Amino acid sequence: MERADVAAKIREMLIENLRIPAEILEDDSELFGGDIGLDSVDSLEIIAGIDDLYGVNMTGVDKTNFRDINALTNYVLEHAEA
Amino acid sequence: MKKRCVITGLGIVCPVGNNVAESWNSIRLGKTGIHEVTSVNTEGCYAKLGGEVCCNDLPAPQYDRSVRLCIKAAVEAMGDAGLDGNAAGEAGIIIGSCIGGAVSIDEYLTAQKTGTEDNSKISNMAASSIANNAASYLGLNGVTANIVNACAAGTMSIAYACDLIQADSGSLFLAGGTDPFSSLAFAGFHALQALAAENCSPLNHSQGINLGEGSGILVVEEYEHAVARGAKIYCEVAGYGVNCDAYHITAPDPSGEGQMDVIRRALASAGAAPSDIAYVNAHGTGTAKNDEAEFLSLHTIFDGTNVSVSSTKSMTGHCLGAAGAVEAVFTVKAVSEGVLPPTIGYSEEDKIVLAKKAGALDFVANESRKKAIPMAMSNSFAFGGTNASIIFAKEGWKAPLTEAETETKIYVTGFGMQISQSQGMPVASLNLEMKDFTERGVKLGVFRKLDKFSQLQLLSGIDALECAGITVSEENERKIGTIIGTSAGPVTEVSNFQKNICDKGTTAGSAFTFPNTVYNAAGGHFSIFTKTKGYCATVANGTQAGLQSIAYACDVLKSGNEAIMLAAGTDEGSDMVTYFYEHSGINGSRTLGEGSSTVCLETLSSAETRNAHKYAEIAGYALTHSAGQACYTEQEAMRDAITAALNKAGIEPAAVDRIYAVTSNRENGALEEQVLNEMFGNTDRIDVREQTGDCRAASANMQVIEAAKAIDEKKIKTALAVAYGCGSYCAIVLK
Repeated sequence: MERADVAAKIREMLIENLRIPAEILEDDSELFGGDIGLDSVDSLEIIAGIDDLYGVNMTGVDKTNFRDINALTNYVLEHAEA
Repeated sequence: MKKRCVITGLGIVCPVGNNVAESWNSIRLGKTGIHEVTSVNTEGCYAKLGGEVCCNDLPAPQYDRSVRLCIKAAVEAMGDAGLDGNAAGEAGIIIGSCIGGAVSIDEYLTAQKTGTEDNSKISNMAASSIANNAASYLGLNGVTANIVNACAAGTMSIAYACDLIQADSGSLFLAGGTDPFSSLAFAGFHALQALAAENCSPLNHSQGINLGEGSGILVVEEYEHAVARGAKIYCEVAGYGVNCDAYHITAPDPSGEGQMDVIRRALASAGAAPSDIAYVNAHGTGTAKNDEAEFLSLHTIFDGTNVSVSSTKSMTGHCLGAAGAVEAVFTVKAVSEGVLPPTIGYSEEDKIVLAKKAGALDFVANESRKKAIPMAMSNSFAFGGTNASIIFAKEGWKAPLTEAETETKIYVTGFGMQISQSQGMPVASLNLEMKDFTERGVKLGVFRKLDKFSQLQLLSGIDALECAGITVSEENERKIGTIIGTSAGPVTEVSNFQKNICDKGTTAGSAFTFPNTVYNAAGGHFSIFTKTKGYCATVANGTQAGLQSIAYACDVLKSGNEAIMLAAGTDEGSDMVTYFYEHSGINGSRTLGEGSSTVCLETLSSAETRNAHKYAEIAGYALTHSAGQACYTEQEAMRDAITAALNKAGIEPAAVDRIYAVTSNRENGALEEQVLNEMFGNTDRIDVREQTGDCRAASANMQVIEAAKAIDEKKIKTALAVAYGCGSYCAIVLK
């Protein structure tokens, strides 16, 4: 899997599923806290989205892996079946 | 309260029985109704349990399952109350529901995949249709409403029936709640990971809920009316309270502050102390967040008393909009028979843990017990932060009766509107951008969460507060409430959520979308943003709900807890909405618009204290309903609503300077035109929809804004606003 593709797909998923405006969502934008301000319900949506896209289960995973698109991408690249 | 309200009949259908005798027997024996779910496809789901109604003779197959359950329970309640056909005709019906016609939406969208959809189902989709369909089937001509505040709705509907009795809007009501088992709710709570994989264990293991379904109906009657017809009296409705957490759209405030406030409101309205309450039917869903907050609230209020507490959801599951009503039936039975219903599911080890958590509170573990219960409370806490608490007492409890009408004058002191412009197009929409929100201080984290319905309501509500010059503070936050009227509610979000699970299965429910599928989410978002913590309700009752919200808000103001009420009408547009209106044939020939209109209403004393500008006085209002039968036609209902509103205002028809009318779409309102011609001749008449398109509840509501502005500008002295919706009329007189 290409890193850039994974990051782009996750970004698209966040925009689509969590109504985050595309123009403010960078790969290093802080998702929880900060302007975007995701919460625990949103994290369930991210878990479902990642599972849907890559079959990677992030239930109960440390929250540092949810910090931004980069962190989510790293986690997917490390845990996805090739 | 100035009148006594009593319970004279009970009806129920729920997972533990198909009538009151069966259900109460199961509850007394601690029998569960929770089993493996069969009506929803649970493939791939981590949880598969729920409480379903097993009943082969639900009446009225032409209606949504919510209505069929409601009618089943209503017929039992009417029989129990000794109401035959004629005596029942005057009754109104107030129904609480969380999911409305979700089963019909599911059936429609599922059939659509194979091109076999049935367009006649569209009129069953909105919660607006429940009370109207039930009234039509049962021949009821009293005031109707659907209270759609999620899991508090069943409790609130009983409270609203009492409010209507206090306001002389009827003496006899069927009040309660109904909700069917649905893929919508199952997929939603599954996505939120709020379902328990095992039998739910409220106030114990607290690992999630089991969903239930059913309907509970109580006959709520004015005391003298009940005595005059020799009715059997179960108990009194001693008091109630409704408020809003203004904390989170799905989770309760962990401080329990809102829960404690609503319990105190109910106690105050009953003139009771915590030590008067012998039994509390807890909300007790079994989620960790609910149970923790509720333990805290109960301890804080009731420690030092000998109260007993139980959650009957341990047997019925969580029946959502029906929950408060089903539990009210059990609470009334507890009072009248002196039996404490149990919370089931405690092992011996659990009881040891419980003893520590419970302290002096008695949680009635596993087995029912006898206890004299002169007074009992039932609590309901909902999505959107709505809390409701109701108190039933043995006959003879003297709630503090206020002196007959210390006349409370109510004024329009502000308004806000977000509404489409028709411009001759078949569909008119309102494009809202993020900057519309940021310039009002709404941050991205909040904006993101809003569906269109919530967006519209938030903006018009903020503008109404701004226009009225109101700053919400810790001093006034509990004195400001909100009533929102809607015809179709968040239909786009509901349909999108449902479409997704119809296409991809129950596990594909969206945790992000689900909270907005409840009709009161818009009110919840508004309260959270503005921190208004007073009475809150959302009423789904066709177009006229936008006016009924004003009548409802005035009743709340007159009850004395609130000083300021925002009363709104809101309906959204979307491709989905356009499709449904076109395919159901209910939009007539008008442009279909969208919008939200909010009126700020305020008592005279509050307005004077703040030195607020008073645009106009709400001089009179009235609600009527026709079951559509020859003995009482819709034309008669319309005439009666207008006449009663004028009488309350002390104004002759000839003194009305201008009429705002939002009529039905049948024959473009020809029947209504006839009534207005007969009553008012050629008095100036305005249809606001010509400018904005048919924005349904928003159109009904904005009539009052237009009238108040015209009166304030001294163009006219008096105005009448009238609207139709779902067999009901609401008329409001301004001066």
